[in-house]
Amino acid sequence: MTTLQLQNIVKRYKSQVVLDNLSLDVADGETLVLFGPSGAGKTVLLRLVAGVIEPDEGRVIIGGEDMTDVDAEHRGIGMAFQNFALFPHMSAFDNIASPLTATRSSKEAIVAGVGKVAKLLKIDHVLSHHPKALSNGQKQRTALARALVGSPPVLLLDDPLRNVDAKLRFEMRLELPRLLAAQGATVVYVTQDYKEAMALGDRIAVMAKGRIRQIGTPEDIYNAPADIEIARLFGDPTINLLDVTPKAAGAGIDVELSGVKVALPHLPASLAGRSLVIGIRPETLHFVEAGTPGAIPVEVEAETPLNEKTVTLVRVSGGREVLVSRPAGTPGPVAGTAHIAVDGATTFLFDKETGQRVAAAGQSAKTQGAAA
Amino acid sequence: MATVAKAARSGSGFKISKRALPYVLSLPALLVCIGILIPFFTAVVYSFQRYRLSQPYARKWNWGENYLTFLTDPGFWNTLKVSLSYAVITVGLELLLGLGIALLLQRRSTINNFVSIMLLLPLMTAPALAALMWKLMTNPGFGILSYLLSLVGIDNFRWASSPDTALLTVVLVDIWVYTPFIMILLLAGLRSLPTQPFEAAALDGVPRSFVFFRITLPMLTPYILTATLFRLLDSIQQFDIIYAMTQGGPGDTLTVFQVEAYLNFFQSTNVGRSAALMIILWAITYTLSNVFIKHWLRLRERARGEA
Amino acid sequence: METTSALEKVLRGVALTLVVLFFMFPIVWIFLMSFQTNETILSIPPSVIFTPTLENYQALITGKLQTASGTLDIAFMKNLLNSVFLSVSSVAIALVLGVPAAYAFARHKFRGSEDIAFTLLSFRFAPPLLVLLPLTQYFQWMGLSNTYIGLIWVYQLICLPLILWIVRGYFEDISADVEYAYRIAGHSWFATFRKIALPLAGPGIAAAGLLAFIFAWNNFVFALVLASADKQPVTVGALAFVTASGIQYGQIAAAIVLSITPTLALALYAQRYLVEGLSLGAVKG
Repeated sequence: MTTLQLQNIVKRYKSQVVLDNLSLDVADGETLVLFGPSGAGKTVLLRLVAGVIEPDEGRVIIGGEDMTDVDAEHRGIGMAFQNFALFPHMSAFDNIASPLTATRSSKEAIVAGVGKVAKLLKIDHVLSHHPKALSNGQKQRTALARALVGSPPVLLLDDPLRNVDAKLRFEMRLELPRLLAAQGATVVYVTQDYKEAMALGDRIAVMAKGRIRQIGTPEDIYNAPADIEIARLFGDPTINLLDVTPKAAGAGIDVELSGVKVALPHLPASLAGRSLVIGIRPETLHFVEAGTPGAIPVEVEAETPLNEKTVTLVRVSGGREVLVSRPAGTPGPVAGTAHIAVDGATTFLFDKETGQRVAAAGQSAKTQGAAA
Repeated sequence: MATVAKAARSGSGFKISKRALPYVLSLPALLVCIGILIPFFTAVVYSFQRYRLSQPYARKWNWGENYLTFLTDPGFWNTLKVSLSYAVITVGLELLLGLGIALLLQRRSTINNFVSIMLLLPLMTAPALAALMWKLMTNPGFGILSYLLSLVGIDNFRWASSPDTALLTVVLVDIWVYTPFIMILLLAGLRSLPTQPFEAAALDGVPRSFVFFRITLPMLTPYILTATLFRLLDSIQQFDIIYAMTQGGPGDTLTVFQVEAYLNFFQSTNVGRSAALMIILWAITYTLSNVFIKHWLRLRERARGEA
Repeated sequence: METTSALEKVLRGVALTLVVLFFMFPIVWIFLMSFQTNETILSIPPSVIFTPTLENYQALITGKLQTASGTLDIAFMKNLLNSVFLSVSSVAIALVLGVPAAYAFARHKFRGSEDIAFTLLSFRFAPPLLVLLPLTQYFQWMGLSNTYIGLIWVYQLICLPLILWIVRGYFEDISADVEYAYRIAGHSWFATFRKIALPLAGPGIAAAGLLAFIFAWNNFVFALVLASADKQPVTVGALAFVTASGIQYGQIAAAIVLSITPTLALALYAQRYLVEGLSLGAVKG
């Protein structure tokens, strides 16, 4: 059982607080993705777990044991760095073997161990090369192999796909979950790429300014973002955000978009009259025939393909721009006037001042259901 | 896993706490140097005493008297004058020459690189030995330089043995040894300058004198300042060349600070005056070195940034 | 990018020749002189064409100088050995003390580390006689005057700041992540220092050591003040030799050649690192 717990971690550099009373639990065998913009403190957090930097306050508990004051070499952790951090004066073999030499394994065991992980990562043909002679992709796989070779119970991966090209990143995104599952390790994975986070994480912790803003499954984060910022970070194209002031409508509320009423029956009437922002994901908007109930008239401005989607930029009356996406190849509007419809149940409301999502208790489950 | 970690930790033999480690690593170097700080304070004490090695029984505090007598002591003013002239003349000439040579060698070519490496040799010659070399070359009897001067009609040029030309002679040796220092620093600076401004200027047909004074010099200023301060710090303390060449003579022609202090200590055995002289020199160099370190740090950060 | 006229080419050539002549001539001339007999040296006009003789070197190496008034013992070879011993030991000790300290300053920004590093640097710029003169008295009390140990200790003033600041720069150039990676792989800080930091900073450490050797070898004032004849290095020994031998110019020239050859050879060998070393790491060559 190797769980990982961080309790009330504080880390300061000079007067700047990098980690601000941060706590986190990672279950045994779980892959937790730390997601956030650069400067959020993700890398510092990882190094703190690895033991190469010390927290100013708080405890690091690994496998139930307090490791806060334990040196890095005794923590039983494997780590892959964003810049690979290979030892430039050693061959790929010696790089990968370094965790094994530390435990004074026999020569045969080292050769077997390195051979196995190298084969798994398809770098067994370059083991005699020095890092200088390796391609970026090979460097990245060597770094990963070095982290995996000792079968550490805790694996820390610091944005390992950041510095490799798009093709390799795509391949690795497919390979990694299988690899990590085979290891059975408890994994903390840092990334700035939301798709990577969604693809790899059992859970995602969204970090900003040294704090965890939201933690949950990828579906949780996508379907119930805690605030505007998170809603904006997850989703491509970006979520549409429009200012609204809801009116009470029975038990629920109504908002008015371009003169058309959209019902939000799942949200409480107490929100009526507040200054809010409505978030509408582009894929929840649909083009409809004129005359359909709830249809909003729009001007089509531009259309662009985005991966497997087609994104249309439209302008609603009042001049506000909205993005609509639909699966590529499905029919869409031609230039000129069109109509869109909003499913109120899939929208989010955020407080305009604080950016926090406003919802009654137990609300997120319901939203989730609606989206699924 | 937890038990494994525990076993490994107790297994590691000697263990230094993480916080103590840097101190443990740097302590030996510090201890060696701290021994040197004690004589520094002793020198301060001596400088406030009447202390002659020839009359140790008469040793007593005289507070600022050593310093006060300097005000009316022509010997001291001579020392100050010679030290400053020596520093300003050598560094000034070396800067001009060093900059000129650096510009001459700026383009990377086999011959230029070879010459710049050859110029390291005078710099790596011990200054005391360099003085001896020039002493042999300026010997009035057989010295090659004296002979060459006689060819152009200057007979009996007495070099270091005449008060009129002694300063010139030691300055010449200093220039021979240290011009390469300024040259290689400025050459490194010149070669690290970005090329775009020069290409743009060449395209626009800007005159080369304008390019030199408005682009090259300003961009080279940090290097020039660092090299100049570095050399000033050394030059105002020059001892080796002057002592090896003339021992401060003839007469008191070349009694710069360190030579004067040395002679005071070992010949006149006037420890108090010697110490006071050194403290004044230290005050000058301390001020200079603070300015220097500021510029040096800036250059160093730039060099690290490029690495 | 620039047009070079024929005139400019000629002027540049002339200037370059003058520069090489001025800076190389003394070395070449003394070198030639060391192979001449006193008669050749004293002849006017000076002769460039002469029959080279090894008798100057012979006299220095055997330590017996034949003069008109009889045989004179010269201790020059002893001086040369002193120089080798003092410089090698000083650099060895400075490396043992300075490299770990440089590592501490580069990797651990501990309390007071910058102040200490700058204090050490400031030793490089303080007038040496300021401490040397009182030190003669301390050394007498401690029984260190005219001992190799005392000299080697004082030589740390030259070697330590140099090694500390140059090597520190090389350690700073190593990515901290590379060292972290080795620690996390399960190796102690000492293993990391030995297997990662030292090999990666190796060229820099070697260059700093060579430079420190050159500066130790070239030092004059420390030994002048603190050592008597039997412990003196060549810099002081050669000066004493000049005074003692008077007119044996050939031997003086040979002594100078023997004294400067080691440093010049090392300088040529390590020239790639000299720029950085001379500026204490402020300028990269």
